[in-house]
Amino acid sequence: MTFPKHFRYRCPKHKKKVVPTFCAFILALVGICLPNLLSGQTPSDALMMRSKNVCVLFSYDMGTFDRYWEGSYLRSNQTVATVDRNTIMPMAAIGILDDLNFYISLPYVSTESSEPNGGKFTGARGFQDIGFAVKYRAIQTALGSGKLTALATAGFSTPFTNYLSDYRPYSIGSGAPEFSLRGIGQYQWNNGFYVRAALAHLWRGYTEAERDYYYNNGSYYTAWMDIPNAWTYEGILGKWFFNTSLKLELSYFSLNSTSGDDIRAYNAAQPTNKVESDRIGLSAQYFFKSIKGLGIVAYHNRVVDGRNTPKLSNTGFGITYQFNVIKKQTDEKDAQ
Amino acid sequence: MKKMRNKIITLVLALGLAIFVSCEKDTPRYLPYEGYSFTELNENGGDWTPVLEDSGASITVDAPDATDSQAYQDELADMKQAMANMTSEQKKAVKYWTNNPAIRWNEIALELIAKYNLIPGPNADGTYTLPNPANPEGPPAFPFAHPPYACRALAYMSVAQFDGLITAWHYKYEYNRAAPYQLDEDIDYAYEENDIPSYPSDGAVIARASRKILTAMFPLEAEYLQKLEEENLESLLLSGGYVTSDIDAGLVIGDAVSATGLARAANDGMKNAQTPKAVSDSIKQAAYDRFGWAWDNLEIPVRPVGLTPLFGKVTMWSIADVESVRPIAPPQLDSQEFLDDVQLLKDYARNMTDEHRRIANFWQDGLGTYTPPGHWNRIANEIIVEHQLNPLQTTRTLAYMNMAIMDSGISCWDAKYYYHYPRPIQMIENFETIAGTPNFPSYTSGHSVFSAAASEVLAYIFPDEAAKVRGWAEEAAISRVYGGIHWSFDAFVGTDQGREVAQYTIDRAKADGADN
Repeated sequence: MTFPKHFRYRCPKHKKKVVPTFCAFILALVGICLPNLLSGQTPSDALMMRSKNVCVLFSYDMGTFDRYWEGSYLRSNQTVATVDRNTIMPMAAIGILDDLNFYISLPYVSTESSEPNGGKFTGARGFQDIGFAVKYRAIQTALGSGKLTALATAGFSTPFTNYLSDYRPYSIGSGAPEFSLRGIGQYQWNNGFYVRAALAHLWRGYTEAERDYYYNNGSYYTAWMDIPNAWTYEGILGKWFFNTSLKLELSYFSLNSTSGDDIRAYNAAQPTNKVESDRIGLSAQYFFKSIKGLGIVAYHNRVVDGRNTPKLSNTGFGITYQFNVIKKQTDEKDAQ
Repeated sequence: MKKMRNKIITLVLALGLAIFVSCEKDTPRYLPYEGYSFTELNENGGDWTPVLEDSGASITVDAPDATDSQAYQDELADMKQAMANMTSEQKKAVKYWTNNPAIRWNEIALELIAKYNLIPGPNADGTYTLPNPANPEGPPAFPFAHPPYACRALAYMSVAQFDGLITAWHYKYEYNRAAPYQLDEDIDYAYEENDIPSYPSDGAVIARASRKILTAMFPLEAEYLQKLEEENLESLLLSGGYVTSDIDAGLVIGDAVSATGLARAANDGMKNAQTPKAVSDSIKQAAYDRFGWAWDNLEIPVRPVGLTPLFGKVTMWSIADVESVRPIAPPQLDSQEFLDDVQLLKDYARNMTDEHRRIANFWQDGLGTYTPPGHWNRIANEIIVEHQLNPLQTTRTLAYMNMAIMDSGISCWDAKYYYHYPRPIQMIENFETIAGTPNFPSYTSGHSVFSAAASEVLAYIFPDEAAKVRGWAEEAAISRVYGGIHWSFDAFVGTDQGREVAQYTIDRAKADGADN
């Protein structure tokens, strides 16, 4: 078994085929493009899709919480009771170059309270933020009994509709543009185990409220609310099974705003809040051998600790499909 | 290939950073005005009729030392020395406080209202604990600065300021001691120069009266307010406008007018406004017996008592009998008018437009904000600065506006608990709203009444702004219907009610001597 080294890494068992495992990168999108949503759904991964390939994902995410942290105090609040937050997520990734992928996504989010609740607030729904990202693979090298990969992503997202961010906890997003830079490092052993870590900084802009005064440890005479910037940290343990048909991952994700105020006693959250959250998750992705390019994905995440954030659990299912936009088979050798 | 990659990456990074750098927004913490020249001096302002004091002469202020006395010359020298040694912090403070600090103290009041406008949440056992002035730390902290509390705090502060400045004007023009910068050419006054005498200092009256009233209203903020007062007083000296004895004379007035105001506040009935459950239940039962309906709190757990059921019994400023301005009864629950309104609210909710949502949110002024009375003070502050009112005119405007707002609130609460009319979420099955339904009956709408009253006083003081502010008041009123928490007749009748109630205060203003 001696394949060209880039080749060995990507599809250790299926040489000379564009295997659907390339679509495995797709979960990374949620983390890269949409950190506003659910504080980053799943971690970004270390895989790249080959030039001229396209992968599409369509997923459905069901988030729910019945408690939230008001500052560091975990509160339940019958005014909002249990809040459900469902997301339909269409995404696409395009292999521009073998080492440069482009991503685009546009989630549709809807929120509502369970009955009975004491507030009788109506939920919200609509398209959230359109997200773009590019991922660049800077290093890929054999090391010991495995492979070391280092990547960098740059993402940008901005509200697609005029949804109201100042309507917590029902607002569907932060309502502000966001620019992110992320560094990712992964080491994968030849036996299919891998570990990955990522560090990102999120620069968030301002969101415009529909009122021109708010309190944020003092008066603000403006409709503009500054969304705090944030750091995110991720750690992943994963393994490939069954000839790279199945991928399982355990994840830890942490987000920490660099500024912001606390939710005040029994008061609604607002976009200026300092958000911190620690989340653990489990995900599985399966790629069919029988239908080339088709994959399914399922995941579950839980926020285990936080500040000014819902104690959210979310479960999602998705379908991925990868195809080569240029009909002729990509020449693997030319790729490098 | 490599070159192209680098280009793409550089482009993406540059674009991203450019977007963020160019998006820095100005987020002002207070009205961005600086000292300005006053359009009038109101030399006869000392003859105007105060609200609570008998006259501008009823507080005694001793005659000052003559400007050619050694005592005054020493004060002048001290002041000049202090000005020569100003730190950059002190310079910033002088700029911040301006020559019309009544606006700043109004903003401080709004900030404290927003800070304390938090409704107490339930305890673990489902009970609610109310803020207690005897134990202000709580939890919950005292006060809960809801709209009735807010409008009352603003009224007492503004009235004390106005009475204090009438007194100050009286002695300014009685003693005619000129400003330091007019006596000594070396002194560079921080603001636009004018011919208003400096003894007693109007700014010191404002600082002391405001600090004392606000400390009584927000006892946990005593230290914060003390610091602000000190900074304001120091800035008066450092502006070059007032020597220490000018300031001290102002403090005498500030102490006296705030004492008068707080004496009234102690016995105006507010302390009984939040009733025990038994009283609240009997008020509800009386309405049910009279009309066949009653408002219910629908929160979980249920709040046992609505907000300040007896605020309607608080002593009004300009009306002797609250029942004399009580509006007509709302529609019967089986009337066509009521059924039409149910349909209207359902239609608004079903077809929520961007414009309706914007209006509902813009005027919502709900929990955690400065409340509708606060919103109208903010509007007044902006118009006052735009029209370059002097401090006396400023406090006259704010005093009458806040008296009218408080009177209108008292009248509104009288109607709310007399009629005890249900809210839309109580009467329309599965009805959901974009605004929070408050803990008190529906009829009439507080926003409508407060806003109509405020806009009428502003229309009287600023005739050129009349159409604009009345339009805003109507928008604030209908915003509650768009928000799904008020019937349209709550808003329409409430607007008429606010206008009618405000007229009593406007009539009083027309007779105070300023209008001649």
